[in-house]
Order: sequence, then C-alpha cells, then structure tokens
Amino acid sequence: MRAFLAFMKKEWMELVRTGKLWILLVVFVLFGIMNPAIAKLIPWMMEMFEESFAQMGMSISEVQVDALTSWGQFYKNVPMALVVFLLMFSGTMTSECQKGTLIPILTKGMERWKVVLAKTSMAIGMWTICYWMCYAITYGYNWYFWDNGIAHHPLFAAFCLYLAGTWLITLMLAASGFLKSNSAVLIAAGAVFLICYFAGMVPKFGTYLPTQLLGAGNLLSGAGKIEEYLWAIAVTGVLGILNLAVSVIEFDRKEI
Amino acid sequence: MKINEIREILPFLIPLIVGELALLGVTLRHVLTHSHYKRGSRALWLIVVIVGMNFVGPILYWVLGKEEE
Repeated sequence: MRAFLAFMKKEWMELVRTGKLWILLVVFVLFGIMNPAIAKLIPWMMEMFEESFAQMGMSISEVQVDALTSWGQFYKNVPMALVVFLLMFSGTMTSECQKGTLIPILTKGMERWKVVLAKTSMAIGMWTICYWMCYAITYGYNWYFWDNGIAHHPLFAAFCLYLAGTWLITLMLAASGFLKSNSAVLIAAGAVFLICYFAGMVPKFGTYLPTQLLGAGNLLSGAGKIEEYLWAIAVTGVLGILNLAVSVIEFDRKEI
Repeated sequence: MKINEIREILPFLIPLIVGELALLGVTLRHVLTHSHYKRGSRALWLIVVIVGMNFVGPILYWVLGKEEE
C-alpha cells in the first residue's frame, strides 16, 4: 500500500510540475462556463443574422432559450473536453516506457500491477474531478439564469456521459499495454470507439454498447427512458473492468 | 448600462476578473523571482504587466520576456 501511495504521489507531482493539472482545470472550467454563455448568445446571434436569413427566404420566430439549451451545449461540448483529456493522458504509460523511467522503480521491487493501478486511479480521479466540476458550473449557471427543474434526470444523464469517459480512459490504458507510442495508443482507442459507434447504428444492438451513453443528453427533454440506458451502463462497466484486467496482464508481460 | 443588464452578465464577468487577477499574480511572482529576461528589464516588465493587466501584459511577458530555461 505504501508503494502504491508513493507512486500516486509521484503521478500527482508529475501532473503539477508539467502544468497538465492547470491546463485541465482551465479547460474544464472554460467548457463549464461556455455552455450557458453560448445559450445566452443564441438569441443575440439570431437577431444579427435575421436579415441574411430573411434574404434566403427563411424567417425566424422568437427563439426560446432555457436550461435545456444550455444542457444541450453541455452534451455537445463535453465530448470535446474529453478528447483534450485523453490527449493529455495518452502518454502516461508509453512515455515512461520510452524514457525508461520505470526501470529503477520496478527493479527496486515495485510490483507492476501497482504501477498500472496507480496510473489508472490517477487518470480516473482527475476525470472525476474535472467532469463533475464542469457539470457543477453549468448547473450553477443554469440555476441562476433559468430553471433546472424542466430538465429530466440531469444527474443520471450526466453519469452516463461520465461512465462513457471512464470507459475510454480504461480503453486507452489497455491499449498502452500493447503499444509503444502514445499516438498509436490514441489511434487504437479511437478505432475501438469508431467500431462501437458504427456498430451502434444497428438498431436493437446499439442499446447494449457504450456509445449509447453518449446520447444520454436526450433524456433531459423527456425523450427516452432511463431503462434504455441500463444495459449500456452494465456493459460499459464490465468492459471497463475487462480493460483494466487486460492492461494489468499486458503490462506484466511487457518488456521495459 | 442598466442594472438589469449588469446582473445578466455578472456571472460571466466574475470568473473573467478572477482569472485576470490570478494571471496577474502568477506573472508578477515570476517577474520578481527571476532576474534575467529574454529582453527588457525588471522595471519594464513590471510596468508592462501592471499597465496591461487585462490579460495583455501578462501574455506579452510570457511570450516575449520569459527567459528559456
């Protein structure tokens, strides 16, 4: 346990000293503020473009902006923030293997699975903090400007997206077990995601895939039921644990 | 500007101000704890950073004044 905690501390120091921590915090705070800000700007933008729309033969009636508009932005923007997050953490395993900085620690008797576990917990912990901070900021603004009451199951829908992000993080770490460079890790994780995404287009089958969770934002307007996401949540949880197991096994066999 | 309009944008203004002041603080600390700059002197950078404190000054310092390590 002591070795594990010490390694966690080292991971934390790395985040602080490379400046990644600050970048992540700023990005997620910005994304959190941007959602309501864009929702606030929409009526103003519509007004500006009204004339050019009228020339094209389109007329715009009064635009109604409420908490749902802002939440809609949240579900559109958070995947982008997730991509930034994944880019930041894509090298967490591979860059250490490339630089050989793990060799002294491993030869001193640190078990390999502890390294994997510490890196996974650090990545998921950071994701948890960043994501829910972003959620809380958007929630706070929506509460101030509009009424969150019209959104159905906001917490459950947010949890779905959170779980999808966690799954992608474990997927990336599992890929780190096989591959040597962080770009290869990103490509592999992206490929698996795309396969899931396209497989999800097959009706019936899609409800069992992690990519189903990305659409959880639809819950807010009252379209769809919670039950439609339960299978996807179960499958995603199992896949996440499998990914973790794969990364531990693969890292054990890896030459460093 | 009416008080209502200010209340509308206040929630966006506050984080902006906080960010601005935080950046100012970090930059001032960096200027004062370093004695060599890529160009300019400490007095010059202090003036630039404080006069242009709405993001411009600090960004100018980090881009043009901070010495490579």
